[in-house]
Amino acid sequence: MSDAKKTIIGFVCERSLPLEYMLDGGKALLDDPDTKVVIVPCSGMVKPTFLETALAKGADATFVCGCAIGDCHYRTGNLMIRERLEGKRSPKLRKTTDRRKVGMFFVTMKDRTAFLAALAEFKAGLDARPAQEE
Amino acid sequence: MYRKFLRLTKSLTVSFEKVVNFLTTQEHNPLYFHGALPLYIFWFLIFSGILLWMYYIPTLDRAWSSVNYISALPVPGDPVNEAAGIPYGAVVRGIHRWGAAGMMITTILHMLRVYFTDRHRSWRWLPWVTGVALLAFVLFVGLTGYLLVWDARAYYIVVATQRLLEAVPVAGAALSRFLVGGDGITDYTLTRFLFFHVGGAVLIFLLVWMHFIRLKQPVATPSRATNFMVLGFILVAAGTLPAINITRELLQKYAADPRIAAQALYVASDAPAQIGTLVDTIRYDAWYMFPYWLVQNVGVTWTWLILGGATLLLCVAPFYPKDRRANIAEVIEAKCTGCTFCSQDCPFEAITMVDRAPGSKFKQIAVVQAARCSECGICVGACPFQAIELPELHSKTLEADLLDLVKKGA
Repeated sequence: MSDAKKTIIGFVCERSLPLEYMLDGGKALLDDPDTKVVIVPCSGMVKPTFLETALAKGADATFVCGCAIGDCHYRTGNLMIRERLEGKRSPKLRKTTDRRKVGMFFVTMKDRTAFLAALAEFKAGLDARPAQEE
Repeated sequence: MYRKFLRLTKSLTVSFEKVVNFLTTQEHNPLYFHGALPLYIFWFLIFSGILLWMYYIPTLDRAWSSVNYISALPVPGDPVNEAAGIPYGAVVRGIHRWGAAGMMITTILHMLRVYFTDRHRSWRWLPWVTGVALLAFVLFVGLTGYLLVWDARAYYIVVATQRLLEAVPVAGAALSRFLVGGDGITDYTLTRFLFFHVGGAVLIFLLVWMHFIRLKQPVATPSRATNFMVLGFILVAAGTLPAINITRELLQKYAADPRIAAQALYVASDAPAQIGTLVDTIRYDAWYMFPYWLVQNVGVTWTWLILGGATLLLCVAPFYPKDRRANIAEVIEAKCTGCTFCSQDCPFEAITMVDRAPGSKFKQIAVVQAARCSECGICVGACPFQAIELPELHSKTLEADLLDLVKKGA
């Protein structure tokens, strides 16, 4: 499992990361071609079902990236998605979803390095785990 | 060009905040509570103000003395306070004084951050314009606070304000009379200033309510760590530089006390006002007294033009540059169950729930008010029934994109 190519689907708020410098021309991250990105206007737009669909259709992991907590351009989008994924706000992430495969990053457009480090850590966490019971 | 400028300012602001995040962590970054900070400091002003009010006497001959009595500096021969007045009175006055500066500074910081990060435009015009009114009110209430001390500077400000008002066409003379409550300055004048000060502070609350009216979850409380930090700042400032009255006489008397001598230039009020004797120059408090600096340096007409022009610019700022608004959320009537999730989550109160016709399957339907919609899609994320969508970014398209990416990756 650990050496296998992974597919990671991320939903990234267009205001959080400097995506114009981070994509390979398509939708894969330059620094991490395994990671594909769906751009949304605000992380609050992400429905938990999107993440569930991604996992169900074969992605190895999925994540949401929004602005720094306290600094959402639309005031509360990042708080909302965080609460939805934590199961505190409807619609919630289904309880049967493997939460280890669902990442959350909240960064500013100047935090590219921090984001990549957190993403790498998230991926390493996927590898470190025993094989998932499917 | 202007958009580029806004992008640059945003980039610089974010870079600066990244440094602060490093020092304070994201959760306690005071810059993320920029709007809540002035409101938080306002409570200090209200409570310290009530304490000061208990001892304040709004008459021409007692105002300065009563303030001085609060500050607990003994003045020989003064009818009100021969001996020292209230313990820690100067510190309470210092909290009021430094809190006022803090409120003005954080208000300006709040305004700059909102402007620099491009959060003042379009659907946010109402909070912005009421914010401009709030700024004017904070300035007004702060200035009237200086008048209550009734020192030489207060008298200077009254005279300068009368000059400003008299320059207003037609209503000028009446406005000037209204300011002082009659043809000349009397005891009633100070009662009126006290009313302006306290009444203005009450009106700030009304404006704050309007400021919040279109925000679903306004950030009105800073984080606890930030609260303690601000509390610490104010207490340290008020404790080390308490607000007092300094006159030449007092300075001579207390020359040996370096604490008092050091304050002569900063937080001290002047000698009592002498009606008819105008000082040549006053100490300008940068946060509040720039209008009088303008009066002194460029004249009455230019002062009006500059202040009026600045206000006008601030008021029209949210409407330029115009945005292309093609992605306003749309409700799909057949799917909406009236569950209210979108309306609860919309950060700008753009979605209202409206009753459906009797006999309908569901009781209510969501309705989007286009002018308030920020096109952020938070409602899309909130809707469990795919009943609300952004026309240019349908969640079906997003899901198709997603499947495409999974396939390519596999």
